Order: sequence, then structure tokens, then C-alpha cells
Amino acid sequence: MLLESLDVQNFRNIHGKLSFGKNLNIIFGENGQGKTNWLEAVYLLATTKSFKTQRLQEAVKFDEELAIIRGSVQVSAEIRHALQVALQGNTKTLTVNGKKETIHRYLGELHAVVFNSDELEIVRGTPDARRKFLDGGIVSIYPPFVQTLADYNRVIRQKNSLLQSAQESGFSVEKVAELLEPWNEQLIHLATRIYKARIRYVERLNETLEKKLFGREEIAIRYASSLEGKGDLSDYAALLTERLNLRVQAELASGHSLLGTHRDDLEINFDGHDLRKYGSSGQQRSALLILQLATLTVFYSQNKEYPLFLLDDIDAELDYKRIGQLLEFLSDKTQTLVTTSKESFLERFGTNAEIFTIENGALKT
Amino acid sequence: MLEYSEPVAKLIDEFKRLPGIGHKSAQRLAFYILRRPEAEVEKFVEALHEVKEKIVFCSVCNNLTDVNPCMYCSSPTRDRAQICIIEEPYNLVAIEKTRSYKGLYHILHGSLSPIRGVGPDELMLANLFPRLMPDNNDGVEVREVIIATNPTTEGEATANYIARLLKPLGVRVTRIAMGMPVGSDLEFVDEVTMDKAMANRHEM
Repeated sequence: MLLESLDVQNFRNIHGKLSFGKNLNIIFGENGQGKTNWLEAVYLLATTKSFKTQRLQEAVKFDEELAIIRGSVQVSAEIRHALQVALQGNTKTLTVNGKKETIHRYLGELHAVVFNSDELEIVRGTPDARRKFLDGGIVSIYPPFVQTLADYNRVIRQKNSLLQSAQESGFSVEKVAELLEPWNEQLIHLATRIYKARIRYVERLNETLEKKLFGREEIAIRYASSLEGKGDLSDYAALLTERLNLRVQAELASGHSLLGTHRDDLEINFDGHDLRKYGSSGQQRSALLILQLATLTVFYSQNKEYPLFLLDDIDAELDYKRIGQLLEFLSDKTQTLVTTSKESFLERFGTNAEIFTIENGALKT
Repeated sequence: MLEYSEPVAKLIDEFKRLPGIGHKSAQRLAFYILRRPEAEVEKFVEALHEVKEKIVFCSVCNNLTDVNPCMYCSSPTRDRAQICIIEEPYNLVAIEKTRSYKGLYHILHGSLSPIRGVGPDELMLANLFPRLMPDNNDGVEVREVIIATNPTTEGEATANYIARLLKPLGVRVTRIAMGMPVGSDLEFVDEVTMDKAMANRHEM
């Protein structure tokens, strides 16, 4: 998977065309010139989402109606796909080779993983960010999992709504147990699939984890089910069924679904310590990179190609020693795009890279 | 202050109650009505009146009908030993188009959805159980109940709920299959459907 070029019109403050190399690409420029916007455009082309905003209409240049991001992706030696994302008001139009595509089909065209300060939520934020990290990874190698997640979330919302109205109406525990059954039956089925998929995915990450890539501390990850210590996890469905039956009263009292995979977490440890609580900011960044590299490797083992790897403001997040180790690891693997504002970065890592100097949103000539 | 004179605002309000109609569509419909000749509007009003006057729920299967019991429940050629449970009357039309199903129906008029305030009591389910007794079914014993609710979480929950009530009664309960749409190429099926079809494959 290779993004050969990117052509942008009216997206934030950037415009023009960049032709990328197949290894390291450095987008260089002073602050406020639009480096990150170029990276955001690449991310948008791949995922149809922004890593900066939920409201894509904000990303259309001020006073303009239509923003267009176009990319040429080399699928194989002979095959090129022209991808395009057009933003107009609230609508987003996706085309491949000039033909409109559904989001479902479009998403298979180009994959990208981004490393930036927001992604640090995975290592320092709430369990929710880590579950999303796992689920996103699973979907990238097994797309139908999207539906399992959507169904699960829907069941949880229905169940919460049921518990809240049961609370307001003062229903008895027996009555609530009966009303919950059709929802719990699906919850058990879906949660078991999610649990197994996540366990398997964490196993695969562990197999490829470069535990010591950045130094002495050893990174270890483990899927932590919220049912741990409650019984035999090897028969997850039976255990969840048993717990759900026991906890009807507690769920009624709280008005929320208390049991299921939406309560699970991914434990990340360095030398046996909880990274979120005790890790330094540098250790957290290293761990995030190690996790993302494992994601890339698992993706590769499934799809026989690497996603694009985007690193925003790389030298603000990592020191040169780690960057060196990282780039060495990535060389000949991923097509990598980084942004930097430091000349010294270019001097140190620019020799075998394509360098794009950005000024006022466009390539400086 | 009202944006429009009161009769117009009132009409827009009424249109807005309709499913799938937002404020803008309601405005468009109201102004469309205003521009129509009197006679045409009269016909529209009459159609509304008539449908409310003449159409009732079938007392057996809850179908919408102008004769009670409905044409399916009173037909001598239908197989009274099979009952197919569906969410909405228009689902019946879809199944009838197959021309292969000859049994009876039972229409729930909805599916379980706590978010929308629909619990078991809001479904038209209570009159299903008397139907299972031969005395209430022209002396025929119901052999099979086919649950054909939608393959959504709400439809599944409804199916689970009904199956749980029916099984102790000893009647055979089945669920319609989910998977490949017939006549389509494998390449055009989305992966979620394909996944289901693979999971529900059968011996040949």
C-alpha cells in the first residue's frame, strides 16, 4: 500500500500537491504553516475521519464551499486507485477512480495509523481509549467485527434505558429479571464474541511486541476482563450468564449495565508496573509506539502489506535516540510521514528521506 | 410569535408528527396542500377518514383489515397449523410475495425497544396464546410458530422473548434464516452478511 501523491484544494489552509516517497517522508515547516493539516488530509483520505475534529465542515477553508482531497494509491505494480474525499457542508462524498463508493467499500482502500498527542490517551487515559484501540485493530483485520460492536453497543443502550425506566416505575427485581432476559441473551452472545476477539488480538500483539525496542524497561500487555476473579473465564458465556443472573438487583439499583466487555481494560505494564499510573511521559510515549508498531505488524501478517504510519510533531513527542531506533525499525516496512519544525531533524534523519518544506499551506518552491 | 398564521402553523405541527417528517418537510407539505384545489384536498381528507373508519385490527392476527377476521385468518385454503410472527403489516406483504408460505400470521405492531418505550406490554402479543389451542383455531393444532422479526438487536430481543414464552407450551418455534440474498453474486455481498451466511451454512 503506497500513497504516491496527495492533491488538496480548500482544506483548512493547505493546497497543492505532494508526491510521496515509499519510505520516509518529512513534512517540514515553521509552526502554523499547515504541516499537521497535510497529515490530517492523508488521515482523512484513508479513514474519512479527522484526528482533529468531529465536525468536518470546520475543515473546509473559510469562505469556500467545497474541499477536495485526492490521492493516488499504488495497489500493485500495474494498478493505481484514485481516491477522493469531497467535503461540502455536512456531506462527505467518497469516490474511487471517479465512481462514488459507500463508506463500507471505501474504507478498504487505504489504511493509516497515526501517532500524535491525542493517541497518548491509549496509554494514559481511561479504559475506553484502550478498548477503542483494540477494537480498531480487530476491525482492520476482520471488518465484520464492526457489526458485532455496533450491535453490542445498541444492546447496552437498550438495556440501560430499560433499567432506568424500571427504576422510575419501581418494578420488582423478578419483573426486571424477566424483562432483561431477551437483552441479556444477546449481550452474552455478543460479549463472548468481543471477549474472544480481543483476547486473540492481544495474543497476536504480544507475539509481535518489540518489548525492549526503546531501552531497558520491558513492556507487557494483558487483556483484563472485568469478570476476572469471579469464576472460570475459559467458559466466558457461562460465567457472564451466571454473573448477570446474580447481579440483577445491583444493575437495577444503579440503572446501568454493570457486566460485559464494556467494562474491560487492557493492562499495560513496564517492568511489572502500571504504565498509566507510574510511567514517565517518555515511557508512555515509548509504550504507545511499541503498541502501534505491533498493530502495524499484525495488520501486515493478515494483509501482507503495511498501513501508512503518520507521526505528527515527531520531535516534540520523542527524543532523537528513540526516533533513530524507530525509523530504523520502520525502514523498508511502512511508508512513513512525519512532521517536524526542526532543521536539526532534517540534518540527522533527512538523508534517505523525501523532504517537503511547507510555507503558507503549500509546498515552498 | 408564530412564524405562520395559526391554521398553517397547526397543519405544519400535524405533519411533523408523521414518521420521517422533519420541520422543513412539514413546511413543504403544508404549502403544497395550500396550493391544491379544494376538491383535491377534500379527497385527501376523505381518504384519511375512510381509512380510520373502515380499517380495524383483525381480532385474530392483528392485521389491518376492512373485514374481521381478515382475509388470511378467514381463508379456508391457508394452513392453520403454521403461524408466522412479524413486526409490521407491511412485512406480511413481503412474505406473501413469495407465494410459498401458506400459513397464518401474527402481527406484533412493533418490536421491543426500551429506548422508544416499547416493552412486552406494548406489543400485540397477548392474543397469540389463545390461538395455539385447537378450540380457537378451527380444531387445528398449531404445529409451528415461525418468528420473522427483523434481524436487528430489537428484532432479536423480541424473538428471544417470544421463544421463551412459547417453548414451554411444546410448540415448535423456528427463526427465519439470515444470510445471502438470492440471485446476487458473492462478490457483491457485504462482509457482515457474508459472515452470517457462513455461520448459518447447512449440510448438503
